[in-house]
Amino acid sequence: MEPELASKLVNGLRSAGINFVTYLPETRLSQILPLMREDKFFQLAPVASEAEGVSIAAGASLGGKQAACYMEGTGIFVSTYNLLTVAERFGVPMLLLVSYVGSLADKRNSFLYVRRGTRMIPVLEALGIEYHILSDGENLETRIKDAVRMMHALKLPVVLLFTGEFTL
Amino acid sequence: MNRRVCLEALVPHITDQLVVPSVSGQWIWGQLTKHEGNLLLGSMGNALGVGLGMALGLPHRKVIVIESDGSVLLSLFNLPTLGTLNPDNLAVFVFDNEAYSGSRISRPSATAARTDLAAIARDAGVWRAVTVRDFDAFNREMSLVFQEPGLRFIVAKVEETFEHRQAERSDVDLMESKYRFVRYIERTEGKRVFLGRG
Repeated sequence: MEPELASKLVNGLRSAGINFVTYLPETRLSQILPLMREDKFFQLAPVASEAEGVSIAAGASLGGKQAACYMEGTGIFVSTYNLLTVAERFGVPMLLLVSYVGSLADKRNSFLYVRRGTRMIPVLEALGIEYHILSDGENLETRIKDAVRMMHALKLPVVLLFTGEFTL
Repeated sequence: MNRRVCLEALVPHITDQLVVPSVSGQWIWGQLTKHEGNLLLGSMGNALGVGLGMALGLPHRKVIVIESDGSVLLSLFNLPTLGTLNPDNLAVFVFDNEAYSGSRISRPSATAARTDLAAIARDAGVWRAVTVRDFDAFNREMSLVFQEPGLRFIVAKVEETFEHRQAERSDVDLMESKYRFVRYIERTEGKRVFLGRG
């Protein structure tokens, strides 16, 4: 991802009010982490598994934080139980920032990732979780704000899947 | 040691703390106290994570997590994260009966064999992780939770009991529990949790 796009993404999160982010580092969107770390607006919580990333974000959200979980696409599969039993069953708003590995527009796609990509949408749909695919930075701030408004309207997780320019 | 007796001893300490019980403890805890700061989750493997997030998000509030051996074993990755983030407003009570007591057959958990949850927590960076085997020791450790700040992880070895199998199930839906908790947070913190139109 170009540094400018990474800044745009972080600024978008900030202006949408996201102030608490759990994360498990991955490759494609990794440029956002140093930017968030430098910005005191964000409270960051590194996790050992995306599963607890969801539970921790849920606790922060119920305590009044505007919470997000940043993870690789594989993290959705790892955290399915937590998404279902806490976030979905309990109705907790949170934004999932997911690098859409193995998707059609993933510029790093290979035989290693492609299955994870092709199964992503069916899994999200089975979980009943709203998602939106982003492949470029056009109107990024608006799209992030739309997703945050949606997560509060639903009181459920909303997923932003990042591919295309975000995976360069 | 008996879990209900321990929880009964914990109840008088609860004032404005936030309490997150795991599924195995919530039946008893829910009977003992109707504290608005209780968040009944109704699932295994989530209480510690949710309580940790709450403690990080509200660093001026004490958060109490009531866990069980099976639930902690299900989400062992929580322990290194707990040790790393080290919130000094969080206390975790793990009632370890060394069995999957919620099942009908009570098969032993790993803590019935060689697994020592307090030792795992300590090696994961949770320095104040202890195992207590009698009520006096439990009471002592519990009192410290309310006397001084600092992350604490207290594994209480308890006998297996079966009252939860006969206990009347609550008719309070999880959503109801969530909203009650959230309104309590909003009232005591003076801020909105769920935003309306953004």
